[in-house]
Order: sequence, then structure tokens, then C-alpha cells
Amino acid sequence: MFLQLVANGLVEGSIYAIAAVGVSLVYGLLRLVNFAYGDMMAFGALIAYGVDGPLHQSMVVAALAGMAATAALALVLDVVLWRPLRLRRAGFMSLFLASIGLALVLRQALLLAAGSQPRSYDVNPYRVFVLGSVRLSEAQVIAIATAAATIVAVGLFLASTTAGRTLRAMADDRVLAAIAGIDVGRTTRLAWLISGLLAGLAGVLAGLVEYSFDPNFGFDLLLPVFAAVVLGGIGSAYGALAGGLVLGLVQELSTWSGFAGGVNPVYKPVVAFAALAVCLLIRPQGFFGQARVG
Amino acid sequence: MTELLRVEDVVRTFGGVRAVDGASFAVADHSVTGLIGPNGAGKSTLFATIAGSLKPDSGRIVFGSARIDRRPVHRIARAGLVRTYQAARVLTRMTVLDNVLLASAAHPGERLAGLVLRPGAARAHERRILERAHDLLALVRLESHAHAYAGTLSGGQRKLLDLARVLMLEPSLVLLDEPMAGVNPALREELLERILAIRRDRGVTFLIVEHDLDFVMQAADSVVVMNEGKVILVGTPGEVRVDERVVDAYLGKAH
Amino acid sequence: MSILASGGFWAFVGVVAGIYTILALGLQVQFGFAGLLNFGQVGFMAIGAYTMAILVVKEGWSTWLAAPLGIAAAAVGGLLLGLPSLRLRADYFAIVTIAFSEIIRYVATNDTALTGGSQGTIALGPIGTASQYNGQWSSFEARVQHALGFSSSDATMLVLVWGVAVVLLALCWLALRTPWGRVLRAIREDEDATASLGKNVFAYKLQALALGAALAGIAGLFYAWEFSFFSPDDFQPLLTFFAWMILLLGGLGRVWAVPVGAGVFGFIFAGTRFLDFAPFTWFASDQRAYLRLIIIGLIIIVLVLVRPQGLLGNKREMVLE
Repeated sequence: MFLQLVANGLVEGSIYAIAAVGVSLVYGLLRLVNFAYGDMMAFGALIAYGVDGPLHQSMVVAALAGMAATAALALVLDVVLWRPLRLRRAGFMSLFLASIGLALVLRQALLLAAGSQPRSYDVNPYRVFVLGSVRLSEAQVIAIATAAATIVAVGLFLASTTAGRTLRAMADDRVLAAIAGIDVGRTTRLAWLISGLLAGLAGVLAGLVEYSFDPNFGFDLLLPVFAAVVLGGIGSAYGALAGGLVLGLVQELSTWSGFAGGVNPVYKPVVAFAALAVCLLIRPQGFFGQARVG
Repeated sequence: MTELLRVEDVVRTFGGVRAVDGASFAVADHSVTGLIGPNGAGKSTLFATIAGSLKPDSGRIVFGSARIDRRPVHRIARAGLVRTYQAARVLTRMTVLDNVLLASAAHPGERLAGLVLRPGAARAHERRILERAHDLLALVRLESHAHAYAGTLSGGQRKLLDLARVLMLEPSLVLLDEPMAGVNPALREELLERILAIRRDRGVTFLIVEHDLDFVMQAADSVVVMNEGKVILVGTPGEVRVDERVVDAYLGKAH
Repeated sequence: MSILASGGFWAFVGVVAGIYTILALGLQVQFGFAGLLNFGQVGFMAIGAYTMAILVVKEGWSTWLAAPLGIAAAAVGGLLLGLPSLRLRADYFAIVTIAFSEIIRYVATNDTALTGGSQGTIALGPIGTASQYNGQWSSFEARVQHALGFSSSDATMLVLVWGVAVVLLALCWLALRTPWGRVLRAIREDEDATASLGKNVFAYKLQALALGAALAGIAGLFYAWEFSFFSPDDFQPLLTFFAWMILLLGGLGRVWAVPVGAGVFGFIFAGTRFLDFAPFTWFASDQRAYLRLIIIGLIIIVLVLVRPQGLLGNKREMVLE
């Protein structure tokens, strides 16, 4: 039972991790806590559904289409919304409120376009892989394999490519990066591109794992993803990866009967926030975040 | 001469960098003490540590007879130790008068319980401090701006307002952070005069961080020189002016 | 079109606008006075409504005891939320407040024994009994209606809600003009500078948070009485966002801008039901509900972009930063 929960936690956590990196990258650059991120995930999931279901394309093609469409959406939104706000020197509050407005618009537009009925990808929910005492559905296996590959790829990208290092440099200090000759506009677009791709991917994987989803499901995912981001220290990409995995594990393991009889599974989201609260009490700058030098 | 402030072996690091590295000195009551040193000597960090917005990693800060290095900023201010900022942090979206009134200590009207239970006392206190606020604004010659938003003041006027506001607290020690920076030359003489007059008339002690050495030599009775996080010399302006260590520190020959 | 002309409908819109006024006034105290970014306001509303309903139905308390306790519970909720989280940076604080309101909603949905669960207040009492928490309130409302000589209960509720709202607005307006309000305004602009003038910034923020929460609790009571039934689904985060939109529409830092914002919001929200011309006629009625929220989202975005101080706000006193 314990191992099963660990496996489930890793599946869940790796999806959180992917999304958390997407949120964190943009936060690092633009100080934007993107409240519309969950709905961007739902957008990607639904585009992929449209390609997978009605168009009968393979799941891989569908996922790529969902990712590409979400990245395009992110880039368009940067031009029509975030850039004008940056030019106005809008601070954190303006950006956050604008993202709330955007979240409303996106989600309702999805509901308008796709309706509120639940949907499922064309995968077999009954096919199960058995690994010792652990049973994983096909969707879970796909999700964890893809997520692991993505996490490694993102990690390598940030650590060892010029573009990745540029991103991290700009997240550390935007002004200094501009002085050092980094093209701020291009780096910002790059961050949105990656953030969008990750949102699309996380949306598709979450849709796979949850089996059935509707346009509202992005919002339900958003808060655990935020919790993961905060846990990792806002703006730290590596922290976000770790925060996502830790959060997924904590959520699942809290239901383990060996842990004070286990928490009722319906309270899993509450557990996530309790973990967040405890963490912030101990380290107000986030688990992996560094205290800013005054 | 009695001591008002004693800094003992204060260390404050930022991620491995020892910005203040075991600094010790004392400030005499009723003195004007200058704190000087080259850029990066740790003056600003030490200042923030004394005022309580940074906590020292080790060492003690004693004000009067009480240890203050673990107290929160507002309690240090209430005890009579207040600071100004290099770029005066006046509240630009409030009037000049409100800025000064805000600084009044122990105002019953600033507590909800006081407002509800003792509205008379709150009103009486407000009347009293209104008079004092106008006096202080007259002292720094900002009387005519009393009802303007503080955001409309020039940089130099903001420093004067900051000074008036700090005096509203009836402090015994005022930390001035580069009072001369960004002040136009015409106002400098006046600011110096005000500071000396306040010390004379109100018995306020000043600790001043300042890059303008001429000003420090003119104003201070005692000068503390810092370099690389340590206090390298304490003396009168005359002693400091001729000391080789100070010259070396400023010219970067110390090491 | 007939419903447009019906006084009952607009009285209902007015009641809802009054409830939103009180809810958004709480945000004004927290954000407009003290600069706190609370995005969990709806959680306090839920605490107020549920505390009252549970005490009346399960404990048999008088409404007139249960209601103040509901308000007090919301305020205590504000204190409990603020104690650990007010020291956090603004962005962390905003996220924690949303999380808080979602926890309240999860607990209300799942702790069936306490709240009736997802079935709502109908399931509060023992099985087989119709559990009603608003008996005393209804008879009070009927007496007021009789005294005023009104023919409809909608109009009575309108007078009651707005009567309370106006009193609360006046109190907040007065409070902002006291020395206490002066300290809050100072904290809103620069909390470090305010602390260095000897003010206990944390205590003031905590007070503002708790007072704003108490106002949300009052809004929750009226919400419960107006609808005679509620469930956890009534306390979605969306409601908090509506309150923020009202704040933005009206103007930041200004007490009397709140009812104006709520009025405009109510008009937009109700009025968009009657957009029976193209392109709105292309959509079915359930789709128009989505369209309405899209419009509200767009208004939030446009306000942030072009008028960050709100319609009636004073740019020199406060803008959204």
C-alpha cells in the first residue's frame, strides 16, 4: 500500500512539477503570479482532446498540438496583455489582478467553445502495469515517463544551454541582465514559450491521469501547483521541480493508514496547503528559496 | 561624559560576506557623532542594524541601559532611537502635516479601543500634537506646505520633513543617513544649523552617516571611521583628519 | 422583456448589490486602507454564514445570538489566518489567502456532519427534518415589512441590507479619518518607514484583516437570509474576484466608491441577461452565463490596464501598483 501511494504521489507530483516550473519561470522574469496558468493547462488539454478524439490522431501528436497551441496562446497574451502592463510599469498587484481577469475570460471561453461535459482521451483505462506490489494504469505510466523526461530536459536546458542560463540570470536580476547585454524582450518571449509548452504538457498529462476532465479542471490543479511553486521558493525553477514532487508525495502519503490512520482522501488538497503553511512558518521565503539580501 | 549608545562586536553577514565584521564604538549623550568610511565599509548595514531593521548575527547593541539588538524596529523607535533614510521616506500620498502627526507617540486615537472608549482623550491628544506639529514644521520652514501632499516636495524639503517627523517622536538619539546627499547647496548651511540647534535646544544626540567629509568635520564632536566592516578609529575631527589609517582606507591602501 | 420592468427583479439585484457592497467594503478596509492583498474574502463570508446557520439549527440558538457569533467567528478566522501569514511577502500572502478560502470550502463540502456537506444547509438538521435557520429572521423581516407598509419582502430586504450597508460605510469612512486610519494609510504606502516611526505594523495589519473579515461575515449573514439556503458551492473563489472587481470599479482607498462599484457591477451582471441583440442572440441562455463572466473578466483586465486607481479613485492617493 505504501509503495503504491509513493508511485501515485510521484505521478501526481511530476505533473505538479512540470506546471510549477512553468509558473516559476515566468514569475522569475516578470514577477507575475499567473493565476490563468491552470486555465492555460485546460486549454492545452482540450486542444489535445480535439486532435486526439474527433481527429483520431495519436496521443503523441495530440499532446504536441496541445503544447504548441498553448505556447502560441502564451505568446499572443504577452503581446496583447503583459507587454502593455510592463510598459505601464505595473507592479505585482496589477499583474495578479489582470491574471485573475484573464483566468475568468479563458475558462469561460473554453466553456463557451467546448461545453462543460467531461471528456476523456482515447486511452484504455483498464490496462494496468504491475511492478511488484505497485499497479499503475497506462495513463499513469505514460505520464510519469513523459514527466521524468521533461524534468530532465528542462533541468539540462536551464543548466547547460546559453538560453537557459540567460533565463536564470534574468530571473535573478532583470536590471543587471539588461546591463549585461541580455536581450530582455527575446528572453521574455522564450520564457513564455517554455511556460506555454509546459502548461500544455501538464494539462494533457493531468487529463490522462484524471481520465475525465472538463474546462474547469485547470483551476482545481492551479492551487496545488501554486503551493508547489511557493514550497520551492517563488521564481526558483529547480525549487519548483522539487516542490512539485514533494507536494505530490505529501498529498498521497497523507492518506497512508500508517500515518495516524491516514487522512480522508477528500482532504488531499487541504493537506497540500497545510504542508505549505507549515513550510512557510518555518521558512518564510519558501523551502528552497533564498532570503533576499536586504 | 555618559554613553547613550554602545555597539559591541556587532557582526552581520550576507550569504558569507561579512558586511559588518565585529564593529564596536560608543556614542556620547548630547553629542553629534559622525560615522564615515569608504563605500562598502559597512556603514549602511551597521546603521540598519542599530535601528533594528536588520538583526546582528552576533554582538550587542545597548541603548541607554537596555539591550535593543533583538527588539523589533517599532519598539526601538518608541524607546527613543529613530532613523531617517538617505532618500527621505516621507509618505508621498499623505499631506505634509499628516506625515508629522503620524509620528506622535502613544496616541490614544491610534488604538481602536482608545477611539471607542476614550474618544475625548483621543481628540485632546490630537489637538495637542497639532500644535506641536505646526511648531516643528515652522522649525524646518515647511509651514506653508502643511496641507500639500508630501509627494510635491523637493528632495531637500523631504529631508527637512523627515527631520521634523522624527523630532515629533521626541527621540533621544537620531540616526541621520546621509542628510546632505541630494540637498541643494543653499539648503546645506541651513540643515547644519537646524541640527546643531536641535541638539542645543532639545538635547537630542545625533549619529550621522555622511559622505560629505567637510560637513562631518564641521558638525561632529566625535568621528567613527569604518573600513571593511570594522571600526578602525574613533577620534575628534582634528585627530581623524590627520590619521594615516583614514587616508589609507579612503585611498584603498589598507591592504 | 417583462422581467426587466419588474420591480421585484431589480429589488433583488439591489439586495445582491448591497451584500456585495459589504463584502467589498471588507476588501477596501484590508487593501484600500492597509494594502493587504486578501484573495480569500469569500472564506470569511462562508464562516459567518455557516456559524450562524449551524448554531441556529444544531444548537437551537436564537438568531440574534448566533448572528453576532458568526461575525465574531469570521473575525477570529481573520486573526488565525493573519498570525502566521502576515509576515509573508505580498505574493505569498495572496496565494495563502486563496488557499485558505479553498480549505474552508473543502471542509464545508466534506465535513458532512458539521455543515451538511455538498447538499448544503438543507442537510444540517437530523434526517427527515426540514432544517431552517431563518425562521426568526423571516418573522423579523415580516414585522419590518408591516411597519414600513411595504407590499413585498424584496423591498423590505432591500431597505434592511442597505440600511446596514450605509451604517457600515459611514463607520469605515469615519475610521479612516481617525489617527488609527492615518496609521493604516501610512502602512499602505510604506510599512518600513511607518515601523521606524514606532508603529506596530503587524498589529495594525492584523486589525485590518480581522475587521475586513468581520465585514465579510456580515455579508455572509445577509447572503444566508436572502437565499434561505446555501451550500459550499455558493462560496467559490469567483465571489472574491467579483468583490475585487467592485473595488476596482469603484476606486481604491475610497469608502463611498464601494457602493458605486457594487451598483455598476450589479447592473452589468443582471443587465447582461437581457442583451437580446446580436451577437448575444447567437448564444443559448446557458452560454450567455459564460459570456457574462467573460465580460466581467475583460472589465477587470481593462480597468487594471487603463484606470488602476478605479473609476472614482484619486490617483494622488492610491493606485494599483
